[in-house]
Amino acid sequence: MDDVLQHLVTLLTDKFDVPADAILPDSTLTDMDLDSLAVVEFAVTLQELWHIDLDDDAAADITLDDLAKTVRGLLSEQSGTAAP
Amino acid sequence: MTGQRTAPTPQRAAVICGIGSSLPPRVVSNEELTRQGGLRTSDAWIRSRTGIVNRRRAAPGIATGELATAAGRAALESAGGPPPDLLLLATTTPDRHCPATAPEVAHRLGLSTIPAFDLAAVCSGFVYGVSLATALLLSGSCARPLVIAAETYSSIIDPLDRDTAYIFGDGAGAVVLRDADPGQPGAVIATDLGSDGSRCDLIAINGGGSRMPLAAQQLTRHDRYFRMQGRDVYAQAVRRMTQSSRAALHRAGWAPATVGAFIGHQANQRILDSVADRLDIDPRHRFGNIQDVANTAAASIPLALADTAAQGLVPPGARTLLTAFGGGLTWGSIALTWPSATPRHHPPHPRPTAEPSPASPHPRTQPWTMSSSTS
Repeated sequence: MDDVLQHLVTLLTDKFDVPADAILPDSTLTDMDLDSLAVVEFAVTLQELWHIDLDDDAAADITLDDLAKTVRGLLSEQSGTAAP
Repeated sequence: MTGQRTAPTPQRAAVICGIGSSLPPRVVSNEELTRQGGLRTSDAWIRSRTGIVNRRRAAPGIATGELATAAGRAALESAGGPPPDLLLLATTTPDRHCPATAPEVAHRLGLSTIPAFDLAAVCSGFVYGVSLATALLLSGSCARPLVIAAETYSSIIDPLDRDTAYIFGDGAGAVVLRDADPGQPGAVIATDLGSDGSRCDLIAINGGGSRMPLAAQQLTRHDRYFRMQGRDVYAQAVRRMTQSSRAALHRAGWAPATVGAFIGHQANQRILDSVADRLDIDPRHRFGNIQDVANTAAASIPLALADTAAQGLVPPGARTLLTAFGGGLTWGSIALTWPSATPRHHPPHPRPTAEPSPASPHPRTQPWTMSSSTS
C-alpha cells in the first residue's frame, strides 16, 4: 500500500470511524456509509492537508483504488509539491 | 495564527450590556414537516444531516419587523439605562424592499428620530452588525447602539425544496452595546470580517431585485424562492469560519485553548462540529440551540447567546468566540468576553395598523389604538 492509499485509509478509520474491515480497494465512500456531507468533509480535509481540490461529487462513487489514483494525479499536477 | 501577539489594550471598548430574543410561539417539528409530504425525507434523516429537531414559524401577518421589535424591546429591558442612540437591523427578509425595516422598528420602540438602518449580510448579519456598531461606538459616532438580527425565512423558503425546506426557522435576537472599560464582561476585543462575491450564486434569491424585477416578468418557482447549493456551502462555511475565527483570536491575542464559549452560526450541527474541531475547541465549551430553533440566519448567534446566557452556562467574563458564514459570500468572527447581562424574551409584537389598505397582502384585523402603538 503506497503512502497516499495508506493516508486515505487512516483518514477513513480515524476521522470518519469506518471499520477497518469495511475498507476494501473496490469499496466506494458511499459503500463505507459516508453521506454526501461526510464526502464534502473528506474533500475539505484533503484540501487542508495537501492543497488539492478533490471533486466531492465525483469522489463519492468511485472505488478507493480509483480515489487514490485521482489524489495522486492531483498531487502530481502541483508543481514543486512532493507527494506525501 | 498561534495567538502569540498581544493585542493592544484599548482604553475603551464596546461592551454588550443587554440581550433580547423573540421567537414565534408556533413550533414545527421534523415529523410535522415531513408529514406535510413533498419532501421525501424523514425525522431521522433531517436529524443526522443537520442536528435540527424543531423550528419556529411566524404566524400569517407576523413579519420580520414584529420579531425585531420584540427582540429589541427585550434587549432594552435587559440593558436598562438610557435609550439607544442608533439602531441597526441585520436581516435577509425585510418587511418591504423599500424602505428599510429599521426606522419603523425604532419608531415602534419609541426611539424617536435616532439613526436606523438595515444591514444585508445574510447569515453573517449579526457579526457584521456588532462589528460595525463597535466601530461606530469607538469612533464616537454613537454611544449606545442597539443591534437587532431578525429573520422570517418562512417567507422566502420553498416548502417543496428538499435542500432547504427543513433547515430554516424564524426568530430574532438583539444586543445593546455601551462604551465601557475593556475589562468589563461583554467587551468586544477583536473582530474579523470578509466576503467573496465570486461565489455569490451559492446562496441566493434570484427574483425580485433590480436584475430580475418582479414587475417585469413572471418569475419561475426556482427564481422566486431562496436557493442554496448545500455541499459547496458546507465546504466554504467550514473553511471560512475556521480561518476567520483564527484571525479574530489572533487579533485578540488569545490561544484557541483559552476559549471558554464558542457559538457558531447555526447553519448545521455538522458544520459547527467541523469548525470547532478544527479550532480545537473543547466540546464542553460549544453552545447552541440549533436542535430547537433550526437555522435562523442572522438571528442564530444572538438567539444562541440569549439561550445560553439564560441558562447561566457560561461565567461572565469568559473568553468567547462568535463566528458566522452566509450568502454573499460573507463571513466574520468576534472575540469578546461573555456578557453579564440577564437576557429577556418577548413573543412577536403584532404590528399596529392604521387604515386598512386595499393593497396590503396581509389584511390586518387588529384596530389601531394609541395604546397598541407603543409596541
